[in-house]
Amino acid sequence: MEILKPAAAGTLESSDAMVTVEPGEEGIEFELNSTVIHQYGNEIKKIVMETLERLSVQNAKITVVDKGALNCTLKARVECAVFRANSQKENLPWGGVIQ
Amino acid sequence: MILAGNPLKGKELEKLKQFLEKMDLEYDEGIEYSICILDDDYRIIATGSVEENVLKCIAVEASCQGQGLSGIILSNLIQYEFEKGRVHQFIYTKPKNREMFEDLSFYTIIENQSILFMENRSTGFRKYIEKMKDETPSDALEAGKKIGAVVMNCNPFTLGHRYLLEQASLQCDYVHVFILSDKRSFIPAEDRFRLACEGSKDIVNLIFHKSSDYIISAATFPTYFMKDKVEASHANCRLDVELFAKCIAPELGITERFVGTEPDCGVTGVYNQTMKEILPEYGIVLKEIPRVKNAAGIVSASVVRENMQKRKWMEVGKMVPDTTLNYLKKLQI
Repeated sequence: MEILKPAAAGTLESSDAMVTVEPGEEGIEFELNSTVIHQYGNEIKKIVMETLERLSVQNAKITVVDKGALNCTLKARVECAVFRANSQKENLPWGGVIQ
Repeated sequence: MILAGNPLKGKELEKLKQFLEKMDLEYDEGIEYSICILDDDYRIIATGSVEENVLKCIAVEASCQGQGLSGIILSNLIQYEFEKGRVHQFIYTKPKNREMFEDLSFYTIIENQSILFMENRSTGFRKYIEKMKDETPSDALEAGKKIGAVVMNCNPFTLGHRYLLEQASLQCDYVHVFILSDKRSFIPAEDRFRLACEGSKDIVNLIFHKSSDYIISAATFPTYFMKDKVEASHANCRLDVELFAKCIAPELGITERFVGTEPDCGVTGVYNQTMKEILPEYGIVLKEIPRVKNAAGIVSASVVRENMQKRKWMEVGKMVPDTTLNYLKKLQI
């Protein structure tokens, strides 16, 4: 998928993460701000990159402000932001690329 | 319970204003969206608002702090901004809130005793400075040159603007000209920028920049765009002047700023006055250039707009260069 317009998903509340995506030109530009960056920074990056790959997003600026979200939450927020960036609100591929 | 409005009106707005007053904040008239969290008795316990790409009037009742309410408010405001396509956001708040907003991933641009100004990009301001330097010929960045600055909206570009640029250009080696980027003017920002460049292209030592969000914008000087509705005492322009003097001028070696005289004592008059007070502290001289008066009277962009509405092209032609006149005629068809 392509990132057609800026979009955000999630919140800044505890145990959640706010994920924002913007159109990018050269690959994935990843920025992370997390309360547990020293403990889980690499793990968070891995989850985000895997999710983007599954959605076939090749170019994007993505920012994650993490407030201690679980992996499943992170994944869901990334997926949501990407689909919002495509204005796709219906006929979502549950069980397909959204797992 | 959540209460939101685009913006709030009537009794709800009154309630919000009272709450903000209690929190030592003032409701800004330019606000377009507000959200409040209410307790079981429908009292406001937390709130935040948006004006353009600026998050402001954010407050949490003292007895309810530490429950993560500011996170809820901010998430909601950021979501609102993204839905509007505004990715670069600013916060205008008090210095004591610094840590809280840093936790929510905002970065400080400038801070003084009363105001803290932040943005959501770690390198936003730095990148703006670098971009301006890229737009500047290298010898204009060398030491020992006399560098001036002019900030103008040019809505539209008139002979008055041109006169100001001519005067500045005669007194300096180079003059940086910042054309406002705000979208709320009658003429779109891109066109204002182009007309200013075209109308002064024979003056060789001018360097044009877009003012972006850091010079006279919704973020730094919100009342500029509502100058007809706001009292001068609420001009709220100190931050703009300090940011210019402390963080922008030194990067480009600017030591003089040129403005046209303001005949009335409205918001722009207060702005000039504030510059007169603050700029010298940072080694910058403010030079007021008297406004041009020609056969048609004092040249002013607002008079041009009035005459244009009435299709008095002869009158318009006396106050603007041909490039602007041709553009305005096309606009009218």
